[in-house]
Amino acid sequence: MSKITEKAMIKRGLSKKLAEKVASFYTLEELKKADVKELEKKFGKDLNKILKAVGREIELEKVKAKAKEIKKVKKKKAEKKETPPKKKKVSVREKIINIINKRNEYLPSNIIDEFVEKIEENNLTDKIDILVEKAIEEYNRHLMEPLEACGMVAAQSIGEPGTQMTMRTFHYAGVAEINVTLGLPRLIEIVDARKDPSTPIMTVYLEGAYRVNREKAMEIANKIEVTRLINIAEIETDISNMKIIIKPSLKSMERKNIEMDDLLKALKKLNKVEIKKGKNEIEIFPEKENENYRELRRLSEEVKNIKIKGIDGIKRAIIRKEGDEHVIYTEGSNFEKVLEIEGVDKTRTVTNDIHAIYQVLGIEAARNAIINEAYSTLQEQGLNVDIRHIMLVADLMTANGSIRPIGRQGVSGEKGSVIARAAFEITVDHLLSAARKGEVDELKGVAENVIVGQPIKLGTGSVELAINIKKFSKKVKK
Amino acid sequence: MKYTRFEKARIIGARSLQIAMGAPLLIKIPKDLIDPVQIALLEFEKGVIPITVRRREKYIKGPVV
Repeated sequence: MSKITEKAMIKRGLSKKLAEKVASFYTLEELKKADVKELEKKFGKDLNKILKAVGREIELEKVKAKAKEIKKVKKKKAEKKETPPKKKKVSVREKIINIINKRNEYLPSNIIDEFVEKIEENNLTDKIDILVEKAIEEYNRHLMEPLEACGMVAAQSIGEPGTQMTMRTFHYAGVAEINVTLGLPRLIEIVDARKDPSTPIMTVYLEGAYRVNREKAMEIANKIEVTRLINIAEIETDISNMKIIIKPSLKSMERKNIEMDDLLKALKKLNKVEIKKGKNEIEIFPEKENENYRELRRLSEEVKNIKIKGIDGIKRAIIRKEGDEHVIYTEGSNFEKVLEIEGVDKTRTVTNDIHAIYQVLGIEAARNAIINEAYSTLQEQGLNVDIRHIMLVADLMTANGSIRPIGRQGVSGEKGSVIARAAFEITVDHLLSAARKGEVDELKGVAENVIVGQPIKLGTGSVELAINIKKFSKKVKK
Repeated sequence: MKYTRFEKARIIGARSLQIAMGAPLLIKIPKDLIDPVQIALLEFEKGVIPITVRRREKYIKGPVV
């Protein structure tokens, strides 16, 4: 029996040695039915050959697939076992908070965030106690003490570098050749909360395809930038025939993506005129009653300045490539309208018009805008003022929900105390009107107390002492 | 309670005024120490000055989020 099996196996392509071995365990019939696992135990690497010989390769694959699945499940289980450290990672935060709470201290959440990140990054979980302790210490050292004259410090800290600022008003911002007010004039503008900045500019960021594709970015730039008739057409005044001839330049019209219909639509807005469309030109006649030279001149000026496309207020738009994206810089600003355009990234686009930001995005955004503008103006001049001083100014300006200037019409002029207001400007007027109204001064602020001759309610002057006499007398007796 | 530097200055100031005007001392001091301010400082460090401050409001500490 076994010899038959051996021969059969050799015929089917096994080596003599292997065939002998197989034959010693199984007959051919048995081999066909035998359990694969058992076979594997007995023959190990040769299993493949044997199964092929008996025509059971498919089964082998199945087994293999099963084995793989089992492995996968095992892996998954292993992964699951590995997840607990992740849970620990979550608890790094809790741990920190616990430590802080235990010591009855406080850390702002963004510091905690940073902390958690760094600890996980550098695997410092076991040193968490010491680290948090140090962080709290450092944080408390940077705090301003209660009763400290922070406003005074802020005023000095901004004022002194301010004296070093150049009076040079204009500056060309980079390659874009856009004129921007900078330096002291700009800082004054911000602090005075002027309605319109003297040089409004916008930085328009784009999203999606507009971001990377220059052509698409150009499309938006054309939509934003104001195009007047004079930019795309030649305008002549024919005095003898009393008419204005417009010769549109097809080239520049195509570049600006303007159709002939757009042009005619814009021209229809004109009053008291007659429009004749020729082949390559458009003729405009003033109405019969108004046919005189002066009217023609006036009309010609009006026609030249007709807006065909674009957003009001935006005089120029320039595309610049920054990194891998295209950014549009504009001279002139119209925050609301620009944000409405499709393809403009509403989350990053900014203007230097603080009032526009206030109207569109609200007071908190305006506060941030003040901080950013003032900080970058100082920074640009090479003056490093701590941002917290500027934050204080911005807070003061926006505290009542609207933007108030610092100065006569704003913060200083609206103080509660009569004496403080009188100390600031137009002393007599303030005192007289206060007397007429019967105003009461509660002497709560600094300026009024200085004038009256009392210690001010700041620093040492604000500390109230208390004494425990019983305790005192006991100690003295000892 | 930790004192702010203003409170510390105020307490030591008040105490040194008392000492300067002849108030009995609360601790034993080195013989060569005669400056009332120095004496008050020493007393403050030892924590024996019975003067404290009255705070209008608890200094606000934000909640830990």
